[in-house]
Amino acid sequence: MSVRAFAQMVIAQAAMLRRNTSFWLASIFTAVVSMLIFGWLFNPESQAFDLAIVDQDRTEASQALRDVFTALENTEVREGPLEEEHRALRDGDRGALIVIAPGFQRDVERGGAALQVYYDNSNLIRIGYVTSTITAAVKAYNEQVSGRGDIVRLEAQAVDTEDVRFIDFLTPGMVGMTIMWVNIGVGFMLVNWREMGILRRLGVTPLRAGTLIASQAVSFALVSFTQVAIILLLGRLVFGVDISGSYLWLVVTVLLGLTAMLSIGYVIASFLRTVTSVNAAVNLIAFPMIFLGKSYFPLDTPPAVAPLVNFIPLTHLNDALREVINHGHGPAELWINWAVLAGWALAGYLLSMRVFRWQ
Amino acid sequence: MTTPTAGRVNGPAPGADIVLNVQRLSKRYGQVRAVDDISFEVYRGETFGILGPNGAGKTTTLEIIEGLRSADAGAIRFLGVDALRERHWVRERIGVQLQSQALWPELTVEETLKLFRSLFRVRVDVEPLLERFSLVDKRGTLVKGLSGGQKQRLSVATALVNDPEVVFLDEPTTGLDPQARHTFWDLVREMRHEGKTVIVTTHYMEEAEALCERVAIMDHGLIIALDTPRELVRSLGSGSTIECGFEHGVDERLLAGAPGVRDIRSEDGRFLLFTSDAPLTLQAVVQLAQKEACAIHSLNVRSASLEDVFIVLTGRKLRD
Repeated sequence: MSVRAFAQMVIAQAAMLRRNTSFWLASIFTAVVSMLIFGWLFNPESQAFDLAIVDQDRTEASQALRDVFTALENTEVREGPLEEEHRALRDGDRGALIVIAPGFQRDVERGGAALQVYYDNSNLIRIGYVTSTITAAVKAYNEQVSGRGDIVRLEAQAVDTEDVRFIDFLTPGMVGMTIMWVNIGVGFMLVNWREMGILRRLGVTPLRAGTLIASQAVSFALVSFTQVAIILLLGRLVFGVDISGSYLWLVVTVLLGLTAMLSIGYVIASFLRTVTSVNAAVNLIAFPMIFLGKSYFPLDTPPAVAPLVNFIPLTHLNDALREVINHGHGPAELWINWAVLAGWALAGYLLSMRVFRWQ
Repeated sequence: MTTPTAGRVNGPAPGADIVLNVQRLSKRYGQVRAVDDISFEVYRGETFGILGPNGAGKTTTLEIIEGLRSADAGAIRFLGVDALRERHWVRERIGVQLQSQALWPELTVEETLKLFRSLFRVRVDVEPLLERFSLVDKRGTLVKGLSGGQKQRLSVATALVNDPEVVFLDEPTTGLDPQARHTFWDLVREMRHEGKTVIVTTHYMEEAEALCERVAIMDHGLIIALDTPRELVRSLGSGSTIECGFEHGVDERLLAGAPGVRDIRSEDGRFLLFTSDAPLTLQAVVQLAQKEACAIHSLNVRSASLEDVFIVLTGRKLRD
């Protein structure tokens, strides 16, 4: 492989991609708009919710706790029998249900009481601000009572205790989706080049197919990393989405994800002849991937489609991104996702090298 | 490196360097013999034309030599090397302009040349190329903003970035206006003066006559004639061609028997008389028309050309 040819191909393609504004803008546009819509329009602070409290203690201490919640601006406190409130929670009419168990005051005086909280985790947009509201209120109560932060502990039920807000869930999904859009787009590029006769023209030069493909991968990676940085920066600065894991694992995940998607793009370009048919194929593949791959919403996978969901590379890219960004995990948790992505990349590469044609 | 071979008149001197040797080359597509057992040689420094109608097999022949297609049979030696096997070696040493201009719309003129240049071991400077192809002012312009003629010049310039031994031009002036065509011919002549070997396919006989030292005429995958344009025309044995049409039918044999006529072809109710003595034949044709009481409704006298060679050989006109 000629280093000079490789470097020039990377530079030229990066310039082409940059000048092809509609291509890179369109691919990141959906992600940014989705984040703004879900992050702002469904703004945590601006949404009111009903909070059920079942006080089984009926003491001064429990009254004081109830007062804290009643004083909250965004919440409407509902009190009723446990069974009724439980049903209301299940029906989605309550954001959460707090149960103050008998003996609460005694436990507080002894220096440690548990507070049972049930969340409605079917509403992902709401659950983020419901948990943060309740956590803040309990913290305020603790300080008011003792100046210590840990007298009353929340015992959360049916909710991810790591307190993942919807925007936290969405941001990695948008990263995954954008990586997919851009890199599958290599298929457009190749078929377009073939239609214009550019691949034939390159075919009568000493350029080798491997150098072409490697240089394309690098230029698409440059675009992808730029877009990933933009999305993560937006998440961080506007919505406070933290990257809790290591940047190294993030980079590895993005690299594996983009090579897997490039591979799919190459396979598409190897089998299809016109830009129109590539367009149709990409849409046919991409949209089911976005939803089955959980870019926007978590999926309670019905057993029938589980093999399909687990087969889709975007599932593994999104899962791995969430493991790193939301949970701060590393290779121990990520290796299966990584292996599947690498498998896709390799299979697609081998297949397209077999069927690739300059003309 | 090649040296300019000035002062040559008709084709190469005996014993001239053979740059390209094609032997019994064949290629079929299903039942169609696209290239049917053709052989020819191209000498160093000459401009060699392959003339023929669309579908004659010109492009297929070129693409096999360039390594874009495989051959079913035959051998090609390029600078003494087996070109069907050593494709990479060949690609380093040829310059190609394909029928489609094959340029990236989103690259500038200069970027395009630099990119193509980077693909080869031997590289010429970009600056002289820009000057020679009158693209200096356009160096920073994106290809999509160029005119047809400018794209054409850039496309040829990309074929020269590796200082190639042989330049292949496939139907280079199809779709160009007459002025751009003449500019292009000047560029090809300049390559010849530099000593470059040029192989050009065309279906314009004017182009073959204007550019080529030797011309192979192809039809249905066969080379049906190969010589200098002058010799090909001379082989007709007629200096001129009279094209005439009559109000109603005239016996072809009477026309064929007119003085000076060497050969005759009829097409669409009109006759082409290939004559060695145009004035004499013309007189006879006019007399014949009077005698038969049959008015002449069209008449055209011209010097014999490659077009006539093609008509005599195939019975058809070159252009559809």
